[in-house]
Amino acid sequence: MDIDFTSLGFETNFSILDWCIVIGYLITVVGIGVYIRKYIASATDFMVAGRGLKTFLAIATMIGTELGLVTVMYSSQKGFTGGFAAFHIAFAAAIVTLFVGISGFIVVPLRRLKVMTIPEFYEMRFGKDIRILGGIILALSGILNMGMFLKAGSLFVTGVTGMTSEVHLKIVMTVLLCMVLLYTTLGGMVSVAILDYIQFVVLSFSLLFASVMSIRYLGWDNIIDTVTREMGQSGFNPFDKAGFGWTYVLWMFFMGLVSCAVWQTAVIRACSAKSTGIVRRIYMLSSVGFLIRFLIPYFFGICALVFIANNATLKDVFLSADGKANSDLSLTAMPFYLSQILPAGFIGIISAGMLAAFMSTHDSYLLCWSSVLTQDVVAPWFKKGLSSKARLLLTRIFIVAIGIFILIWSLWYPLSQDLWDYMAISGSVYSIGGFALLAFGLYWKRASRAGAYLALTCGFFALFGLPEVQYKLGSLFHPVQRLLGFTKEIPIEKLTDGMCLVKEVLPGDEIAMIYLIPSAIIGLIVLALAIVLMIVGSLLLPDKKGRSTLMKQRSNLDGLD
Amino acid sequence: MDWIKIWTFFFFLSLALFACLSVVVTIGGFFNIRSLFKDLSAARQKAERSQVGDDGQNR
Repeated sequence: MDIDFTSLGFETNFSILDWCIVIGYLITVVGIGVYIRKYIASATDFMVAGRGLKTFLAIATMIGTELGLVTVMYSSQKGFTGGFAAFHIAFAAAIVTLFVGISGFIVVPLRRLKVMTIPEFYEMRFGKDIRILGGIILALSGILNMGMFLKAGSLFVTGVTGMTSEVHLKIVMTVLLCMVLLYTTLGGMVSVAILDYIQFVVLSFSLLFASVMSIRYLGWDNIIDTVTREMGQSGFNPFDKAGFGWTYVLWMFFMGLVSCAVWQTAVIRACSAKSTGIVRRIYMLSSVGFLIRFLIPYFFGICALVFIANNATLKDVFLSADGKANSDLSLTAMPFYLSQILPAGFIGIISAGMLAAFMSTHDSYLLCWSSVLTQDVVAPWFKKGLSSKARLLLTRIFIVAIGIFILIWSLWYPLSQDLWDYMAISGSVYSIGGFALLAFGLYWKRASRAGAYLALTCGFFALFGLPEVQYKLGSLFHPVQRLLGFTKEIPIEKLTDGMCLVKEVLPGDEIAMIYLIPSAIIGLIVLALAIVLMIVGSLLLPDKKGRSTLMKQRSNLDGLD
Repeated sequence: MDWIKIWTFFFFLSLALFACLSVVVTIGGFFNIRSLFKDLSAARQKAERSQVGDDGQNR
C-alpha cells in the first residue's frame, strides 16, 4: 500500500518548522500532565477529577475526548466514501445529544447515583455478578474498539509528513504511545481534563481555519459539482439505496445515543460534573461539538475526494475504474490532501493539534477501560474492598497492559471495512446490552437480573457485523446471507474461502459479487433482540427482591421511577 | 427534496455555531481550570490534615 507521492510530483508542505512545532507542543503537554500529578490525592481525583469539573471545562474535555485524531480519520474516510450524505451521521449525533441534554435521559440519573463507572450501576440495580460480567464485556468491547487507533494515527502521520518508511512510522507511534502512557499513569483524570482543554482550543480553531482554507482553495461550487459528478444522488441523499440507505441512518441515530449516553468515556464526563444541572448543560452545549467532530472531518474527506478526482494521476491511485474509493487508501486521502493545501507552519499547528487529539483520546480511553477493569472486575472480588493506593496502582498496571495490546492489535488486524463501521460494531458488543440495561434498569421497575444477563450476552452477536467474522463462519452463515439478500462488490484478488458468491466468477472478471450482511442491519437486529430478551427475561424470571436499597439511598428516589 | 441546499445551509450554520462555542468555551474553560486547581489543592490539604482515605475510614 506504500506509495511514494513525491515520485508522482506531490511534495508535502510539512517542513522542519512543522516538526519543531509538533515536538515542542507534545513535550509541553506531557510536561503539564506530569506536573499536575501533585494535585492527585485519591482514586476519585484520579478517575473523575474529584467530581469538580464545571460547565466549560467539562464541555472542553468532552469535545476534546470525542474529537480525537481517530474520529477525524474515520470521519474523513466516511466523507471520502459517502460524500455529503455522510453529514446525516453528524446530524443524528447532534440531535440525539441535544435530546439527552434536554431530557437528562440516562445521564442525569447516573450522575445522581454518583457512580464512577456504568458497571457500578449494574451492581446497584442488578447485583455484583452483573457488574463483573458487564465490566468484562465493557472493557473487552472498549479495548477492541480502540484497537485500530494506532493504525489510524500512523496513517495520519504518514500521510501528512510524506514519510514512506514503515520503520520510521513504527518508531514515531511507539514514542507517542509511551508519552501517552507516561502522563496518563501519572496524572489521571485531572491531567486528562487539562490536556483536553488545550487540545480543544488548538484543534477547534485550527479545524475552523482549515475549513475556510479548503473552501477558498477548492471553491464551494467546484466541491458540489465534483461530488455530483463522482457520486450522483447518493453523494447527497442519505436514504439513497446506492449510498447509505434508511437502515444505516436509523443505526446512526442509535450510535449517536450510544456515543453520548451509553459509552463509558462520555458518561464518565457526566459522572465528573459538579451537579446534574451541569450535566444537562454539558450535553446541550456539547451537541454542537458532537455535530462538528463529525462534520468538519467529513468535509475534509469530501475535499480530499474533490482534490483527487480532479487530478488524473491521483484518481488512478485512489479511486477504482468505476469511481469508487479504494478502501485501503481512503484513510490516507485526508492527511495527504491537508499536506498539499495547508501552508508550512500552519500544517505543524494542525498536526500538533491532531497528535495531541490522538494522545487525548488514548489517555481518556486508557483511563476509562483501566478504571472499569479495576473498579468493576477486580475490586468486587475483595470483600474488604481495595485501598485507594491499590486501586491507583492496579489502574496504572492496566493502562500499560492495554497500551501494549493495542500496539499489537493495530499491527495485526486486517481492516476490510470503513474504520467507522468497525468501531461501531466492535463497540456494539457492549453498547447494545449496555443500552438495554441502562434504559430498562433506570426506567422500568420490573427489569430483572435474568433479563440483564440475556441482554448483556446478546451483544456478542454484534460481532457478526464484522465482515471477517462472516467470512470465518463460511458456509454456516451462507443460508442467512442468502435469505437477507444483501450483496457487495469486491475486487477478484480479495476473494477468500468463506465468501458466498452471488454468481460464479468468469475468466476476465475484475469484480466479484458476494453476499454480505451490512453491519448496520446486524446491529439493528441485535439491538431489537437485546430489548426483547430484556423484557421477556424480566417478565418470565423476575427478581425476588425489589431494587437494591443502595440505589434508592444514593439516588434519593429522585427521577428513577 | 433538495439535499444540496439542505447540506449547504446545515454546514455553514454548524461552522458558525461552533466558532461561537469555541470562543465561549475557551474563555470559560480557562476560569474553570483555575477554580479546579483551587478546589483540588484545598481538598488535598484537608485530606493531609485529617488523614482520611477515599473510603471514609481513618488510616
